[in-house]
Amino acid sequence: MSRILRIELRRSAAAGTALVLLVAGALLLYASTDGWASGWMALAMVQRQYLVLLWPLALAAGAWQARREQRSNVAELFASTARPLAQRVAPVLAAMTIAVVAGYAAMTAAAVPWIIGTVSYLPTAVFAVLAVGALSLVAAAWFGMAVGRLVPSALTAPGLAVAGIGLLLVLTPTAVGGHEGVTAVFSPTQGLGLFGDFRTISGRVSAAQGVWLAALAVTGLVLLAAETRRARTAALLPAVLGAALAILVIPRGGDFVESPIDPVARELVCTEAGPRVCVSRMHAGLLAEVEPLARQGLTMLAKLPNAPTTAAEDTNSFLDEHAQPQRPDTVTFNLRVDSDGHLADDRTFLPEMLNAAGVNAYACGNELSRPVSRAAAYWLMEREPTAGAHDPAEETAQTRALWQSLRKLPEREAAARVASVRTAALACESLDGLLSRSAA
Amino acid sequence: MMRTVSAAETAPTTHPWAVHAEGLRVRAGRHLAVDGLDLALGTGVHGLLGPNGAGKTTLMRALATVVKPADGRLTLLGQPVDGRADLRRVRRALGYLPQQFGFYPRFTVREFVEYLAWLKEMPKTAIPGAVQRAIDRVGLTAKADARMKTLSGGMLRRAGIAQAIVNDPEVLLLDEPTVGLDPEQRLDFRTLLRELGADSCVLVSTHLVEDVVVACTDVVMINGGRLVYQGTPDGLMAQGEPGDAGDSPAERGYSALLRRYRAEQGR
Repeated sequence: MSRILRIELRRSAAAGTALVLLVAGALLLYASTDGWASGWMALAMVQRQYLVLLWPLALAAGAWQARREQRSNVAELFASTARPLAQRVAPVLAAMTIAVVAGYAAMTAAAVPWIIGTVSYLPTAVFAVLAVGALSLVAAAWFGMAVGRLVPSALTAPGLAVAGIGLLLVLTPTAVGGHEGVTAVFSPTQGLGLFGDFRTISGRVSAAQGVWLAALAVTGLVLLAAETRRARTAALLPAVLGAALAILVIPRGGDFVESPIDPVARELVCTEAGPRVCVSRMHAGLLAEVEPLARQGLTMLAKLPNAPTTAAEDTNSFLDEHAQPQRPDTVTFNLRVDSDGHLADDRTFLPEMLNAAGVNAYACGNELSRPVSRAAAYWLMEREPTAGAHDPAEETAQTRALWQSLRKLPEREAAARVASVRTAALACESLDGLLSRSAA
Repeated sequence: MMRTVSAAETAPTTHPWAVHAEGLRVRAGRHLAVDGLDLALGTGVHGLLGPNGAGKTTLMRALATVVKPADGRLTLLGQPVDGRADLRRVRRALGYLPQQFGFYPRFTVREFVEYLAWLKEMPKTAIPGAVQRAIDRVGLTAKADARMKTLSGGMLRRAGIAQAIVNDPEVLLLDEPTVGLDPEQRLDFRTLLRELGADSCVLVSTHLVEDVVVACTDVVMINGGRLVYQGTPDGLMAQGEPGDAGDSPAERGYSALLRRYRAEQGR
C-alpha cells in the first residue's frame, strides 16, 4: 500500500491539486492582506471565505481523478484482478486527501511570513477553524470522487465546480429564511460572522460543521466503494444522520451568536515601566510600535489638570451591543492594523487619541461637537488643524476658527477651557460654546 | 531472494484441467457469442484460432472472469466460476492481456506493472523482484522507467504482456498479443511463450496461423461460438489438402477445417 500510495502521489491528480490549491489560495490571500494581517484568527477566517472558490475546486479535482479508470479504458483489465474495488481506490483516496490537506496547510504557511513578526496571539480556536476548512476540502474531494465514479463524464468535473460555487453563493441565511445556524452547518464559508477585531467562532459551531463535513466525507467514501444499488442507497445514511446531528449541535435561534467576540483577545496587555500604555492581547505584537506615540499623547494631555495617566487601546467593537464605560484616568486610542500587519497611518493616531481632550466620543453616541473636539485635540498637539479626507470643509473651517481663538488666549485660560471640554465630554454633556465663550 | 511460501501455493493441484468448460454459453451484448462450447485445457501453450466474430474475445473475457457465463459450466483451476463464486483466489492466479489494453499514461512501465501486481494481490515483498523480472522477460528493461504514454505500439503490447505475466499466472490469457510487434520481437515472443507454457496454461488468441504452429503445443479452433477443432499443430497441418486456400500447410489445414465445419452447419 505504501509503495502504491507513493506512486499515486506522483502520478494521480494529487500533486496538481495541492499545487493549484496553494497557488490559488496564496494569490487570493495576497490579493488583499487587509482582512487577515491583524491576526491568526482573521487569517483562518479569510481562508474559510476563500473556500467559495477552493471548495468547488476540490470537488472538481476529485471528480476528475475518479474518471481516470474510464478515461484510460482499464476497466476490462482491472475487472480480472483479485483486489476488491474498495481496496483499489484506497491509495488514490489517501493521495487526494493528503493533497487537499497539504494544499490548504501550504496556503496558511504562505501567509505566515507576512504576519509572523507582528502577530503573537494564537488562540486554540484558530486550529478548529483551520481544521474545519481542511476537512471541508477532504469531504469535497471524497464526494467529488464518488460523483466522478458514478457519472464518469468529461463534464462531471466542470459541472461539479460550477454547481459547488453556485451552492456556496446561494446558501446564505437570507436564502433559508434567516436560519444562520443552518447555513453555518452546511456551508464552510458561512458562520464566520462580520469582519472585525476580536471575532472568533464558537467551539459548538466548529463542532457542528465538523460533524456535517465528516458525514459528507463518509457518504462519499461509501459511494466510492459501493458496487450495488443497495450500497449506494445506504451511502445516503451517514449524510442524513450527520446533518441531523449537526443541526442538534449548532446553537439555534437566539442562542446563535452571529459574530461572537473572543474575550481573551480583547484583554489588555500593558507596558511595565513608565506611563502605562496598553493594547489588546490580539495586538500585543504592536505594543512597541504604539508605545512612543501613546506616550507622546499622554505628555500632551499632561498640560491639563487631572490628566489621564494610562493610554489604552479602545477595545470597543462595533459588534458590541453596549460600549464599555469610559474611565477618567485612561485615555483610549484606536489601533488600526495596516495591510502589512503594522500600525496603520500614525498621522491620524494622535488627533484621534486627543479628540475632545482625550475622551472617546464613541461612548456618547457620537453626539459631541466635532469642531470643538478636534480644536481641543489640535491645541494639545500644538499643531494647526488639517482637514481629513472625509471632513466637510465647513467643519474644518469651524475647527480652525476655534483653534485660532484658543491660540490667542493666555496659556492658562486656554488650558482651562480645554479641560472643561474634557470634563463635559466625560459626562457626555454638550460641548457647544465651551471654547468660544468670552474670556472670564 | 527468499520469501515465505503459503500452504496453498505448495498444495498439489487437485484439478485435472486448468480451464474446463462444458456447454459454456456467454453473451456479448444480446448475442450469444460463445454458444455451447466444450473445452479442456491443461499446461502448455494453446493457440486460439478462428475467423472474426467466432467468439474468441468473448471466450477470453469469460475465462478472465470479466463477463459471467450465461449458461453451462466453467471451471478455472478447479474452482467453478459462476455468479455467486468468490473469484478472488482464482483471479490471483490469472494473467490477462485484453484485446484493447488500457493503461495509465502517466505511470512508468515499472509503476504500471507494479500497480497490476498489487491489484493481483501478490505478496508485498515479492512485487519489486517480480516486476523487474517481467519487464526483463518482455525486453523492456531499457524502457522500465519511461512513461507509458511515450511507448510505441509494440512496446505497449510488451508492457501489456509484462503486466499479464508479473504474477507467474497459472492461467495466462493473451488476446492478440503480437499485434504491433516487429518480426524480431515476434520471434522473441515465441521463445517467451514456450517458456511460459512449460508450467502454466497459456491461451493465445491470434489471427496468425503460423505463430500457432511454431509456438503452440496445442491448437484450439472455434467458430460460431463452438469448438471446431482441438489438437496438435501437426494435426492441424494434416487437415489440409493441396487444393485448400493458404500458402502453408497450417493455413491450408485452417481453411479445410473451416470449410468442412461450415458445410456441416449448412446441412
